[in-house]
Amino acid sequence: MAKVQVLNVAVLDNPSPFRNPFQFEITFECMEDLPEDLEWKIIYVGSAESEEYDQVLDSVLVGPVPAGRHMFVFQADAPNTGLIPESDAVGVTVVLITCTYRGQEFIRIGYYVNNEYTDPELRENPPVKPDYTQLQRNILASNPRVTRFHINWEATMDKMEDSENVDPAPNAMLPPTSMPGKAPPLGLMPDNSMDCL
Amino acid sequence: AGNASPRERRGRLRGFNWRFCYVERRIGCFQTVFVSWVFVSGKPIFSVDIHPDGTKFATGGQGEDSGKVVIWNMAPVLREEDERNENIPKLLCQMDNHLACVNCVRWSNNGLYLASGGDDKLVMVWKRAAFIGPSAVFGSSSKLANVEQWRCVMILRNHTGDVMDVAWSPHDVWLASCSVDNTIVIWNARKFPEIVMTLKGHTGLVKGLTWDPVGKYIASQADDRSLKVWRTMDWQLETNITKPFSECGGTTHVLRLSWSPDGQYLVSAHAMNNSGPTAQIIERDGWKTNMDFVGHRKAVTVVKFNPKIFKKKQKNGSTPKPSCPYCCCAVGSKDRSLSVWLTSLKRPLVVIHDLFDKSIMDITWTLNGLGLLVCSMDGTVAFLDFSQDELGDPLNEEEKNAIHQNIYGKSLAITMESQLSSTIIENPEMLKYQQERQVNQNPNEAQGIGPESQTPKLTNVLNGESLEDIRKNLLKKQVETRTADGRRRITPLCIWLNVSYFYPGTSHQHCSTASQSCRGRLHRLSSPLRSLRIPVHATAAVNSIGMKSNLLSVKEPKGKDETSSDSEDKIMVKSMAKRKGEMEGAEVVEKRKKGRPRKDAKMMPISQPFPQVTFLLSKDAWTSKSMDGVSTDGVTYLEVENEVSVVSGSRLSQLKWSREGREWDALLPSRIIIAAGSNDVVAVACEDRTLSVFTACGRRLIPSIILPAPMSALHCSRHFVMALTASATLSVWDVQKQTALVKNESLNPILSGTDATVSQSFLTQQGVAVVSLSNGKTYCFNSSLETWNLIADKQDSLVQCTDFRNCVSAQDALGSMGPLALTQGRNLSAGRLASRLSSTPHHLQQGMTLAFLEKQLSSALVLLSASEYRHWLLIYARFLVNEGYELRLRELCQDLLGPVHKSSSSSWEPTVLGLRKRDLLTEVLPVIGQNLRFQRLFTEYQDQLELLRLK
Repeated sequence: MAKVQVLNVAVLDNPSPFRNPFQFEITFECMEDLPEDLEWKIIYVGSAESEEYDQVLDSVLVGPVPAGRHMFVFQADAPNTGLIPESDAVGVTVVLITCTYRGQEFIRIGYYVNNEYTDPELRENPPVKPDYTQLQRNILASNPRVTRFHINWEATMDKMEDSENVDPAPNAMLPPTSMPGKAPPLGLMPDNSMDCL
Repeated sequence: AGNASPRERRGRLRGFNWRFCYVERRIGCFQTVFVSWVFVSGKPIFSVDIHPDGTKFATGGQGEDSGKVVIWNMAPVLREEDERNENIPKLLCQMDNHLACVNCVRWSNNGLYLASGGDDKLVMVWKRAAFIGPSAVFGSSSKLANVEQWRCVMILRNHTGDVMDVAWSPHDVWLASCSVDNTIVIWNARKFPEIVMTLKGHTGLVKGLTWDPVGKYIASQADDRSLKVWRTMDWQLETNITKPFSECGGTTHVLRLSWSPDGQYLVSAHAMNNSGPTAQIIERDGWKTNMDFVGHRKAVTVVKFNPKIFKKKQKNGSTPKPSCPYCCCAVGSKDRSLSVWLTSLKRPLVVIHDLFDKSIMDITWTLNGLGLLVCSMDGTVAFLDFSQDELGDPLNEEEKNAIHQNIYGKSLAITMESQLSSTIIENPEMLKYQQERQVNQNPNEAQGIGPESQTPKLTNVLNGESLEDIRKNLLKKQVETRTADGRRRITPLCIWLNVSYFYPGTSHQHCSTASQSCRGRLHRLSSPLRSLRIPVHATAAVNSIGMKSNLLSVKEPKGKDETSSDSEDKIMVKSMAKRKGEMEGAEVVEKRKKGRPRKDAKMMPISQPFPQVTFLLSKDAWTSKSMDGVSTDGVTYLEVENEVSVVSGSRLSQLKWSREGREWDALLPSRIIIAAGSNDVVAVACEDRTLSVFTACGRRLIPSIILPAPMSALHCSRHFVMALTASATLSVWDVQKQTALVKNESLNPILSGTDATVSQSFLTQQGVAVVSLSNGKTYCFNSSLETWNLIADKQDSLVQCTDFRNCVSAQDALGSMGPLALTQGRNLSAGRLASRLSSTPHHLQQGMTLAFLEKQLSSALVLLSASEYRHWLLIYARFLVNEGYELRLRELCQDLLGPVHKSSSSSWEPTVLGLRKRDLLTEVLPVIGQNLRFQRLFTEYQDQLELLRLK
């Protein structure tokens, strides 16, 4: 069973100007002392069209992790705007938080992010070249999408037969019903998201 | 109850048997309610168990891609209006931590824990979370929030195959689990994950377990066509029953067998009789297999006895003779039908066909014995409601105990609560006390929140800061470092630490102060350091290690060695010695690894010459004198250097003392063989048989004491110094008052007649000398009587047969530390003693326990150990209350109360070991109040205490 359960992720500084760093306050619980660190990553999906625009904003090691409940704030710089296709700068995209243990991803939390101009004028007539200084980033904090994967928590390197151990198909689409416009992939199937502990 | 049906089949008429009849959900004297909402998306439910308090039940089975344990609210099952009321939650908690199908869920008898076993080979133990968790599961799309938070507190790994059944022993001493790996594992439920025993002997998949309610046996049934009964005394096979199972094939998923509440009958799952499936009845007396329950068309998967014993409902004058008490048993089968039997009837009370679409997997009775939940492979759970007219009058606990007492000479459950209901409370004080007690036990019951939900107060405040405050500054405050390869590494803020979380009452204080440095902090929170000395007699082995290492200071690795006096972790040892010996002339700087086995300090009395001891180093963790304070003192070093310089032919030795930068040294004219220190004094014994005593500042207190023989062991504690010489004599001095407490007392009385040697000795804070021998006996010298008193004996049969487990409460563990516990080993109570449960007749065990407890009490008194005296006094009082020793209880209270009116002739002392006796009585009275039988005693002393208080 999973030794680490994510209990909550609070999105701090939201909404915020596009260039502000991302801040997530993550609370998790660990069943047993972990001999190794957890690795957390924030991935910004630059474009729904292709994975190649995904940017790993930052990755941190978190440890030591004794059995118990812990929290930390994961802060990462805003994405490099140069790597975002201009056509995808404004609108809905996704930010992912992943956690791996011994190189195996066991949880993936996805948030929809809406980038839009606050100025009604700009909203009406967006410049061809996006003006990132005017963009506001709004993370849909109330609706995280969580996918959990079974991984091998023990040091023994015996392979798990589970195919679930593999990273989820990146092109699995999840159109949010509540969200207008294009829907970028969250990297998970709705059925796959656990609705319980 | 059941009517004859068109289809009828008779089993063999031996004892029990029945006609198979259709009673199609007949509403009348009983009622079947389908519990439709216990429906886990059509996935099989393998197990169901009702919580002992009857407010909830657990199911276990298959989840989406994992096993699933679900805790449900019982109220909507029992009452239709609650079922319709949307404000009453039906589902309380879901847990899908099991990686594969859950085969069994079982509540512990005390209701605190839930154990589950599954195809992932694991047994998990769950406990209600001690804080308010998230109201909904993070990232959950469904609106089903967990109303209660249950967390897995222990994962028990040992089985190499699917776990099929788990069972808690009476009193929750053990947890048993059985598996398709053919074994049964007995876990120590007081000390998970300790394994008491693995029972091997089955040659097939073990699919069911049941404990004898008396606690003497555990029975298992397996696919190897056998049912085995094991003794809990030695975990050996008591009997192996194969005959009724010889025709059985391994066709059922489970074989849940059950033991009757009176302990007289064991009923198996799937057995065969004349090619017909049966449930075999096995009599405790001689393990006879003469009767069976006959009638199901397919294999019996589960048998479950009603927890109650019944007696016939007395109708006015209609029953001519008094009826015998009887038991009630439900049998579920692969044929999808359920039958309910009374042992007083030859036919089943009721049979329900086609209750489900698939095989019945598990059955559980409500505590009152009138309701029953059944679960099936088809994913549904049914509830059956019986009336008392149908089943009879359940015996109350007292009557049930009387039956046990009759049969086994021992009452099983000393459950006060259930007895209380039938006793009249005679006085308002008592009533008030009882009510307060109930309120304290269940402060939040009304909201359906268990007692543990009080703790969030604690956990939401860390070091005086609220969680909210911490969150505001978390980003600034959290510790971030860079790893060697330049990566960011964040140390998470620990907001709740799982420290020994399985045992209530110990962890929360830690949690509240836990912070980023939780680990380090815990060390400091552990019990205060007291003086410790570690004499190390050099041996060749040590020397060779020592010479390789140039380190001068070593971290004390353990020091938790239970025989070492007042030891603690985090002790620095630094030693430097120049040693003469075989290597005469060669000066060796050596370093000593600490934590040598205590045996090294062995004294070889009389017969053997005193070993040519080199030197020792003694170190010391000096602490504040108050026992309750956390030590803030630094580590103290005592360093001995022999032959530091040669002055006009004589060699000088040097003693160095240092603590927190302060230091002093003293020169002595002879080689030092032993040194020891406490907060107040430092004592040094030299080769020339002198003993010098210095204050902690290095001032010599007494001119050299000349010893009758070379020193063997030396201890200091506060201002007391204890010396054991090689000629086996003991002296203890109070160097402050400059008096002798023990004057050159010979160890002959305790050594003569044995070839035992002294294995350990120490001095308590009160200046009582304690000597342990290699034969397991420990003595202390009682200076007021001038006698040696035996205070502990590892071979003592009294110790091994006592049983006072139910008199020990969780918080007691803290009070039990002290010299007595040190000599007896700390885990004296639970496991070892538990294994003796029922191995001796009850009255004998009772007597032994009494004798043992009184011995403990007097030993604590002799050792002048106040906290231990109080500890054992409370246990003793609880034992007296539980077992009903009124006279002794009265005597105890009388002694604690003393004369109400002052009189000069009275020799009554108002205090014992510095504890006020009347304060002790105030603590003992609530214990007495727990048993209404003693309410007059309670009232009597309560009143007198009150009277004295007013005076």
